[in-house]
Amino acid sequence: MEPSMPQQTSPGLAESAKPPKSQSPWALARRKFLRNKIAMISLVFLLIVCVMSVLAEPLTMPVEETAKINLTQMSKEPSAEHFFGTDKSGRDVFARTLHGGKTSLLLAFSITSAVIAIGTLVGAAAGFFGGWVDNALMRFTDFMMNFPFLLFVIVLKSIFIESSTGTLIFVISVISWTGTARLVRSKVMAEKENEYIMSAISIGSSSPKIIFKHLLPNVMSTIIVQATITLAAMIVAETALSFLGFGVPINIPTWGNMLQEARSPDVLTSKWWIWIPPAAILTLTILSINFIGEGLKDAFNPKSNR
Amino acid sequence: MSAKSHIHKDAPLLEVKNLETAFSIDGTYYNAVDNVSFRVKPRQIVGIVGESGCGKSVMSLSVMQLLPKGIGEIRNGEILFDGVHLENMTDSEINRIRGKEIAMIFQEPMTSLNPVFSIGFQLQEVFFNHMKISKKEAKLKSIALLKSVGISRPEKIVDEYPHQLSGGMRQRVMIAIAIACQPKLLIADEPTTALDVTVQAQILELLKEIQEVNDMSVILITHDLGVVAEMCDEVIVMYAGKIAERTDVDSLFHNPKHPYTQLLMGAIPKMDEEVETLSTIKGIVPSLKNMTKTGCKFAARCPKAMPECVTVTPQLAESEEGHEVACLLYETSRPNTEVNA
Repeated sequence: MEPSMPQQTSPGLAESAKPPKSQSPWALARRKFLRNKIAMISLVFLLIVCVMSVLAEPLTMPVEETAKINLTQMSKEPSAEHFFGTDKSGRDVFARTLHGGKTSLLLAFSITSAVIAIGTLVGAAAGFFGGWVDNALMRFTDFMMNFPFLLFVIVLKSIFIESSTGTLIFVISVISWTGTARLVRSKVMAEKENEYIMSAISIGSSSPKIIFKHLLPNVMSTIIVQATITLAAMIVAETALSFLGFGVPINIPTWGNMLQEARSPDVLTSKWWIWIPPAAILTLTILSINFIGEGLKDAFNPKSNR
Repeated sequence: MSAKSHIHKDAPLLEVKNLETAFSIDGTYYNAVDNVSFRVKPRQIVGIVGESGCGKSVMSLSVMQLLPKGIGEIRNGEILFDGVHLENMTDSEINRIRGKEIAMIFQEPMTSLNPVFSIGFQLQEVFFNHMKISKKEAKLKSIALLKSVGISRPEKIVDEYPHQLSGGMRQRVMIAIAIACQPKLLIADEPTTALDVTVQAQILELLKEIQEVNDMSVILITHDLGVVAEMCDEVIVMYAGKIAERTDVDSLFHNPKHPYTQLLMGAIPKMDEEVETLSTIKGIVPSLKNMTKTGCKFAARCPKAMPECVTVTPQLAESEEGHEVACLLYETSRPNTEVNA
């Protein structure tokens, strides 16, 4: 009975030929993402890396074993006994790569969760409330942004002498949320101008309800993409810090700590098996995370038709 | 149907007294709504008409306390709803009234619904805000509501998403959300402006029907005098944040007093007349910053302007029983004269 109005460019339009069961924006994005080959391959790769890392202990040896120096097995080339060979201290590179992945990924995921949580909360509050709340939060964000990342982490790490993985997670999280906060703030500011926010207020919804129920789901796509970028960046950060010796304590295997060995020219030039495996997996992991992020961005973009 | 402003026997549902809403521009406040007073009685449909930028929407946002925080502010005046002051309420206090006692429909149905949630979800939100109700009940209620606003196959529509509905259907959903808790007052801010003409008529009819069934009062903000003629009991003509004329709908159309109203009437295209060009009112509503402080704000565009119009500020007063006007052409509007209507 309604004369049909011209439809907006909407996620549903491309698929309108065969109407699927659910037309929620999430379902549409999921379908689009599942069709993206590169993103799917990357996702599978990332999952394999994650599962292998989590299962490092049953697959190889307990983590304490990987730190044990074995003078009889120094710098052995890859063999049936040691898939990736052994390093200069006679430790199994394959086991260390898996255990390293566990630490590196745990670190990256923890930091990313913290960063996204803090950044989203700060950004959403600043963007939604505006006024002095916005001013206070954003000046604080600017203040936090002033710290040079590397220097700050190094200084804080030297303050907390008994540094552990937990300290590192805390230290990096504390100064890395600023970009996310700014991004979420700008997204929320744009989104809250929409009339549906006004109409949500006009039916008596409280501010927290509006932020969490109406605003955040609408900026969630941005947040998710930001999370993938952060995840990749944090793996790199951990590796870089560990490589420099300011990251995870040296006795815990991580990809960064393993790469540290490549600082010696001898390893770099003639003992490739010591550093290639962690480096290759590191690179591929970051690459796959970036592809996944790209795929998600594409999936959430109603204007792309893949 | 004649509405008289001095009837006390049925108390007004909404009473706005000397409302001044201002926006701050570079630290200075400029009144977007300037000393406006009016009443809405139970079961009355009051139309507010005027050009864009004359303060209609700001006034309705003031009533709902929806002004953008930190920018717009009620500087003066009182808003009494059912005898309760709204202007100084805290957020949680006003949230109990919004959606339950006073509801609002917005102009743009395309963006008034949250794109990531199903229609049913958004309808149920208003129930959860104001009632203790189970999910199942809420869903049944929302289906019934959708049906009552004339949506066919409501069982299906509750699970659909805004982008799957047409503009007219979305506006129906908005109306359903607004009337969900059977509010006493509905503020409709240009509810049909964004819709095409056939849908407009349906939506207006629906609004009128709901108003009668639910015994609601309605404030209808529009710039379409045709809509006013069809819907309203009483009309308020606003210009530049002030009320230019206020009367019942019959007197307004048969005997417009303010030159602005007369010009607005003249600008309505008529079907039985053939004219080369439609008549317009020259100029635009002055921006907040450029508004004159004294004198009639319409003077610059008024064909009947007299020299004193620039210096003397006209007052809104009854020039005839139940017909208030603010123009120096009428003796009663001159300051310091006794109002003896």
